[in-house]
Amino acid sequence: MAELQKDPMTRGDFLGFGILGTIVGAILTIPPAAFVLAPIIDVDILGKSDVPEGPDDWFEVGPIAEITEEEPKFFKVDFPVEQIYAEPKVQEESGISKEEFVVESALWVSWRTEILGDGTYGQSYRPSFLDNYDGGTLTEEQVQEAQENLNVLSSSCAHLGCPVRWILREGEGELLCPCHGGIYNINGEYVAGPPPRDLYRYTHEVREDGKLYVRHEFDVGGENGPQEPYVI
Amino acid sequence: MIGRIRSQAIDTSRFLTDWMEHRTGIVTMMEHFLYEPVPKRGAWLYTLGSATLFCISLQFLTGILLLFYYVPTTDHAWDSIYYIMEEAYFGTLIRGIHYWSANFLLVFIGLHMAQVFFSGGYKAPRELNWVVGVVLLLLVIVLAFTGYLLRWDQDGFWASVVGMKIGSYSPFVGGATIHFLLGGDVTGPATLSRFFAIHVWLLPAALAPFIGIHLYLLRKHGVFGSEFEYSDRLAKLHERQRLELYESYEENGHEEIGETNLGRRNREERDRRE
Ligand code: FES
Repeated sequence: MAELQKDPMTRGDFLGFGILGTIVGAILTIPPAAFVLAPIIDVDILGKSDVPEGPDDWFEVGPIAEITEEEPKFFKVDFPVEQIYAEPKVQEESGISKEEFVVESALWVSWRTEILGDGTYGQSYRPSFLDNYDGGTLTEEQVQEAQENLNVLSSSCAHLGCPVRWILREGEGELLCPCHGGIYNINGEYVAGPPPRDLYRYTHEVREDGKLYVRHEFDVGGENGPQEPYVI
Repeated sequence: MIGRIRSQAIDTSRFLTDWMEHRTGIVTMMEHFLYEPVPKRGAWLYTLGSATLFCISLQFLTGILLLFYYVPTTDHAWDSIYYIMEEAYFGTLIRGIHYWSANFLLVFIGLHMAQVFFSGGYKAPRELNWVVGVVLLLLVIVLAFTGYLLRWDQDGFWASVVGMKIGSYSPFVGGATIHFLLGGDVTGPATLSRFFAIHVWLLPAALAPFIGIHLYLLRKHGVFGSEFEYSDRLAKLHERQRLELYESYEENGHEEIGETNLGRRNREERDRRE
């Protein structure tokens, strides 16, 4: 100890070392940290998404007339993703990679159904005009009615994200998750198992051509249950 | 004739090991690393650590080989593994070893830990070695987790999604964790690249020094006693070996044994005399 004190550190030295150390440390750590943690900065702090968001980012799901009263219908939507090598500008200019990267998303779409006290299904709110719908243009009221009564559900379980599927049991159907047995009813509402909330719902729109459109946007947070997990 | 060639070969190898020993001390080091007096009872249990090390070495070697064909992009990852399995020479064998030794690695680690735990091997002064061992265990678990996604098949994909979402439930940093792993807010090409980087570079690079520390601490304290006791025992072992050698020399009157024990300089003198 005694030798160490031969050349004692003055207050100025200490400050100098401290400031220099901070600057050098920052120069050394900030670039690599920001480089690797970019997604946290983009998504958590700046609120960006890899799926383009904007007023025009509606994606066609399918004709609503195909959805029956008894069971949800399965649709697949490919949302384009802009992650590393899907940079749109490069793809456009090079003209080489036409292939866009997409997140293949599975949707269950059903008509709102009354749930009776014992959990069985009651009346379905499928609009009656669909019974003899010939593919023509819908009126504003019809669009409104259809839109209000549709459940547009993400197939990703609200627990840990496994894809749920429609299972028939004793005549009643349910959406069952294969991973840990989470169960939802036809409306996507939580029935049993580990999931902390109902299935996630897409922001959706029915248009006059009788088709359903969605955006990559969900009813997360707020009254609709916990925010977690953050990714659907 | 054959006897002469043999004695010459012995001389040469002795000369080479001596030469290396003087310059690097490697022989003593190898002795320290390879020889360990172990009680007869339950000796097999003490091989569990070596078994773990063996599996990890296999992972490193086969992993390097797999990298010659694996392509970490979403459109080629699965295809390239299919190629390894179907087309590449011995691809099935090499990927099979990587896969199975990964599984056995975790089994061995579990057994190794249990053995250390039940024999009280974590007690002073070996606590830090237990801590380092736990760090190694965690690194291996994350390695296993990240390796799973690289196959980019349904199995690995959904297992990784579930794993990442488990991480997303962690308090305060849940969102950051999953977005860091995903490389964004959806599973996509960035996810695969990140898992690849973590699996192939980050974790192996972190693993290697910890293995070094683990082995160093093991040798420092020995499995059954301190370094002091250990060298003590080693010295006794050498003493016994020497006595046995003399005994056999006296019994057989064998000359070569005596001669090979001459140093290099003595041998030269002898040759000059002849
Ligand atoms: S992921 Fe669906 S129940 Fe766990």
